[in-house]
Amino acid sequence: MPEIRVVNFCKYFGKVKAVDNVSFDVKDGEFVALLGPSGCGKTTTLLTLAGIYKPTAGEIYFGDELVNDVPPKYRSVGMVFQNYALYPHMNIFENIAFPLRAKKLPRDEIEKRVKEVARKLMIDQLLDRRPSQISGGQQQRVALARALVKEPAILLFDEPLSNLDAKLRMLMRAEIKHLQSELGITSVYVTHDQAEAMTMASRIAVFSMGKLVQYGTPDDVYDRPKNMFVAAFIGNPPMNFLEGFTVVGDNQKLHARRGNIRVELPKEARNRLENAPRENLVLGIRPEHIKIHFKEKENTIPGLVYVLEPLGRDLIVNVKLEDTDEIVKIFAEPGVDFEEGQKVYMEPWVDKIHLFDPQTEETLL
Amino acid sequence: MEGVKKYQLTFFQRNSQKIAQVIIVLILILVTSPIILGYAWLILRSFSEDIVQGFIPTKLTLKNWRFLWQNIEGYPSIWKITMNTFLLALGVMVIEILITSMGGYALSRYEFPGRSSILRLILVLHAFPAISLMVAIFYVLWNLGLLNKLWGIILVKASLEIPWGTWVMKGFYDGIPWELEWAGLVDGYSRLQVWRKVILPIAKPGIAVTGIFAFLSGWSEFVFVNTFIFEQQTWTLSKYVKGIIGDFRFVDYGLLTAVGLFYVIPTIVFFFFVSKYMIKLTIGGVKG
Repeated sequence: MPEIRVVNFCKYFGKVKAVDNVSFDVKDGEFVALLGPSGCGKTTTLLTLAGIYKPTAGEIYFGDELVNDVPPKYRSVGMVFQNYALYPHMNIFENIAFPLRAKKLPRDEIEKRVKEVARKLMIDQLLDRRPSQISGGQQQRVALARALVKEPAILLFDEPLSNLDAKLRMLMRAEIKHLQSELGITSVYVTHDQAEAMTMASRIAVFSMGKLVQYGTPDDVYDRPKNMFVAAFIGNPPMNFLEGFTVVGDNQKLHARRGNIRVELPKEARNRLENAPRENLVLGIRPEHIKIHFKEKENTIPGLVYVLEPLGRDLIVNVKLEDTDEIVKIFAEPGVDFEEGQKVYMEPWVDKIHLFDPQTEETLL
Repeated sequence: MEGVKKYQLTFFQRNSQKIAQVIIVLILILVTSPIILGYAWLILRSFSEDIVQGFIPTKLTLKNWRFLWQNIEGYPSIWKITMNTFLLALGVMVIEILITSMGGYALSRYEFPGRSSILRLILVLHAFPAISLMVAIFYVLWNLGLLNKLWGIILVKASLEIPWGTWVMKGFYDGIPWELEWAGLVDGYSRLQVWRKVILPIAKPGIAVTGIFAFLSGWSEFVFVNTFIFEQQTWTLSKYVKGIIGDFRFVDYGLLTAVGLFYVIPTIVFFFFVSKYMIKLTIGGVKG
């Protein structure tokens, strides 16, 4: 059954390289998210999987079959669009039945299957309404029902939740994930929301400017970002970057240093940094990987509390460095009180430190 | 609330919105009064023996409407003429809808060589005064054996209306989101099927508007009928009215107003359809 393989896929519109030499694969039953900012080529990739665009170069396989030139109707693909794309002149029943009518199924079979999927998505009381008469969340369910009713081998989602309000989005996020794992349909999900990608997908493909930057599990892209783009794009608030560090070392330990600031680097850095540049590097630390001290301590970065952002469960402390005015965001431990203007010392977790080369923006650790 | 200073508003400040509205309405009445008075006169005159003082009808009568149940001397039956006019209008409408609904779609959705020059040419074509083509059209119709035939007029009229209609339809198709088309393709239909089952029904208001305008332009066509039709039996209403205004006898104003009113009725009826669709120009159902 369908394992999707995308090999050296390129799509150009005139001179614009929308997608440039992208390769990845999706295992049978897997849920993969294509993540990136708008205009990064993720939707173009999805539409090519659907068969609406043809690749300029490269190959797309469903299982063993090369599908580059196969039109959408022969692909057994279901798709959910961002604006739902419900047919405004048909009622909900006809909308959901539309893919089945294409297959010329008998009337009672169509009715049975539409009712079944409508019941599953809890829209069975809406069947004789028009799309304009139901809410955005309900339209979303109808779009999902229409994609599912023909029992496709592959499900494609194009930012399906971005038109919903925040609360509904959280609800549908879990529901789509549950539905996907229950039905086991191979799914590709396009989103610009890193939280959606992290929570739903088994693997995330991070796109930037038409290229696939990193492809891995949510833990992979979160804990081991390949470059500064991925590090900044995934995580909320994003990773803190501090510029201009030099790697210095004695026999025991390696440190990253800038002026009076000195931060300890993990042990494995010694091997990894052997052939790497050592000067003017970017230090990356996630907000939750910093411990705040009130007394001076070795291997810490001093700063003043700039502003506090309480989130109820969490507290984000913004600390301003005295020398460069850089702001560092930190998830503070619960139960500690802070005052604005207070002097603090930030200690990064040694094994959670990232180091990037500012020229290539690639990771060095 | 002692010590709170009250603002004293003048009468004009308090009623500025109302006053502005009154002024606007007065201006509109003034501007439209020639048209309104014209139609009022037309209606009053057609139902009265005579008009005195320019506006006051005397003695109600249906005499002026006698053309409905008897032939006016020297003219063919009004019903035959009305049928001709209707066929002309219908023919123009059907041909125009058939071609513009497909042409507009192609221009809206497909990239093909020459597309932008076609779009530009369409506008030029529409700006072209038809009267300057008269001699050329005469030759074409003559050679096709379509002179003095309704079919000839229908083809000429439709071909002159099609550029504009195509432009209008293109506009309607442009407003339909691509996602609907993509959804149709993914749902298992071919491009042509998607056009027929999804796009066309959504473009219905556009088709209605184009069709109604085509119908009305056919209904009110005069120049080509006057030039290319020689037999009374093939006349249309515009030519009939022209005949009554007459070259060779004194004008029967009562008859003229009644026929004129009769001629305008479909236009007025259609206007209500158009206005309904004009308001519905936006496409419903797809929340952006």
